[in-house]
Amino acid sequence: MKLLTKYNQVNIAATVTILLLSGVVFYFFIEAALIHQLDKTLIQEEKEITAFIKENNRLPEPNDSKEEQETYTPAGNQPIYRSFQSVTAHYENNKRERLYRQLEFAVAADGRLYRADVRKSQVETEDVIQLVSKITLAIVILLLAVLFVISRLILNKLWKPFQVTLQQIKAFNVSMKDSVQLPSTTINEFAELIEAVEQMTQKAKKDYQEIKSFTENASHEIQTPLAIIASKIELLSQSDNLKEDQMHTIQSIAETTNRLAKLNQSLILLTKIDNRQFGATTPVDVSRMVLQILYNYEELFLSRSIQIKQQIDPGVKQTMNEALAEILIINLLTNSFRHNVENGSVTVILQDKYLSISNTGNAISTLPELLFERFRKEAVSSESMGLGLSIVKKICDIYHFKVTYQYQNLLHTITIHFS
Amino acid sequence: MKILIIEDEKELSDSIATYLKTEGYRCEFAADFYTAIEKTEQFDYDCIVLDISLPGGSGLEILRQLKADKKMDGVLIISAKNSIDDKVIGLRLGADDYLAKPFHLAELSARIAAIIRRKHFEGTDIIKFEAITIDAKAQTVTINGRSLELTRKEYELLLFFVSNKNRVISKNAIAEHLWGDDLQGNYDFIYTHIKNLRKKLDEADYIKSVYGMGYKFSL
Repeated sequence: MKLLTKYNQVNIAATVTILLLSGVVFYFFIEAALIHQLDKTLIQEEKEITAFIKENNRLPEPNDSKEEQETYTPAGNQPIYRSFQSVTAHYENNKRERLYRQLEFAVAADGRLYRADVRKSQVETEDVIQLVSKITLAIVILLLAVLFVISRLILNKLWKPFQVTLQQIKAFNVSMKDSVQLPSTTINEFAELIEAVEQMTQKAKKDYQEIKSFTENASHEIQTPLAIIASKIELLSQSDNLKEDQMHTIQSIAETTNRLAKLNQSLILLTKIDNRQFGATTPVDVSRMVLQILYNYEELFLSRSIQIKQQIDPGVKQTMNEALAEILIINLLTNSFRHNVENGSVTVILQDKYLSISNTGNAISTLPELLFERFRKEAVSSESMGLGLSIVKKICDIYHFKVTYQYQNLLHTITIHFS
Repeated sequence: MKILIIEDEKELSDSIATYLKTEGYRCEFAADFYTAIEKTEQFDYDCIVLDISLPGGSGLEILRQLKADKKMDGVLIISAKNSIDDKVIGLRLGADDYLAKPFHLAELSARIAAIIRRKHFEGTDIIKFEAITIDAKAQTVTINGRSLELTRKEYELLLFFVSNKNRVISKNAIAEHLWGDDLQGNYDFIYTHIKNLRKKLDEADYIKSVYGMGYKFSL
């Protein structure tokens, strides 16, 4: 649930309740006040009647008008209590009953006891009360409308810095080059939030950069000792009179060192691509490059009797870094060689929109979507590093190419869709 | 043949020198920028093995200096950075070749040999080993005068062997020489190349399999 909705729910419920409640209280207070006023005029009437009787020793003329009525009834034996009450009564000969406020009291005239009823119309009072109720209701409706408009327009606007900040946080990536673009605001809470986000993202980026440059430096520093080890092994292997098991050991060290060096080189390459350290992009003649690399690898495929089929459209150009383009194509081709089988085949198709390389090979157990992850490899050729395809993916990401993998009819196909 | 090894890692320059000495090269060392500048100014070398990151300055600066002095020394850059920029800049400045660390000494030796051949035998470039004669300029091979039909890679393989004669060369070094270092993994396919080449060399087959380690080209 949105904060705004929740806030509105509570706010509107409270407002409506209070307004209705106050409407009811208002109603009773006004009614009580008006009736009190009526009662005071009735008491005045009573005084005047009593004064009249005292002076004239007779009852005044009864009155039966619409607004005011005075009636005198012989009391008989019934006791008469002075009392106020609201009653309905007819006036003159009118059939309709009206609401009146009545004061009942006892008067004595001509030596007899009468019950005097003085009434005053209460209808006006009711009108006033109705009006008050209507006004209250109108206020409630108006208030709701205003609240609605406020929440729609003003609150949405007020929350804007928050929304923008949220968007920025969602889009944030530690490897981003530029810093996050946060809005400015005069609202303290948001200003505080934005400041915190700013500090946090900057720190995350700084930490990431530090880790990255550490990795990079470490990788570079490792190259030299590796070069020394490799050279010493090579010298050692030149020694005369090596025993067979010593030769094996030397070979095993040599291969492992080689693997380590390759792994390190791949990691350096990945870091470099990550850091966008391949600057210059030029229109690269992909067709020519593919043909050239295929030509270079021809004998390699031949050595395992792998047939090369190619359908390469001439003049396919992509604007990218030439070295990266070469790495991309070489990685794909060597991949199709490494995972191929004796007497297999590789098919290279290059068109304006895509480059696809299919090769025969054993079925893989890895999920296709995991294939491009780092260090993902199939057990069959365990000497490979599993970094080749993640390098392919990285390069494609830079140029917004889409890479897909398909396994169908015993053919593994990797397709690069140019953007 | 005189070689200058400009490299601050003593162990590495020692290995390089040891390997090259058996080829008949005389090696000198420079472990920092100033020694390197001094030596290159005073003497001429057939080939300079140049590391880029040196104490005191960049190897690229030494290269710039050499070219400004119109020196004819061959230059092979060895760099730990394997940065494509270094390679491009180095070659543009006039270096003859570029090799990323770590490298195989056999590869280094073959590259140095190629640089020296290019410098010294401008008209012809003939390499002989017993019955085999390689014309590196025309890229043709003859055995006792009979010309030999080799594929591109077989030719490169033979040249690599001849450049590293009497040495044990690992399968890794061969695979990387032929296919570059992008081809990671199992190098068993090298066997096919060797087998084909040996068949073609026939009576001049000086390739010997060194059990467990690789191959050796010798009598």
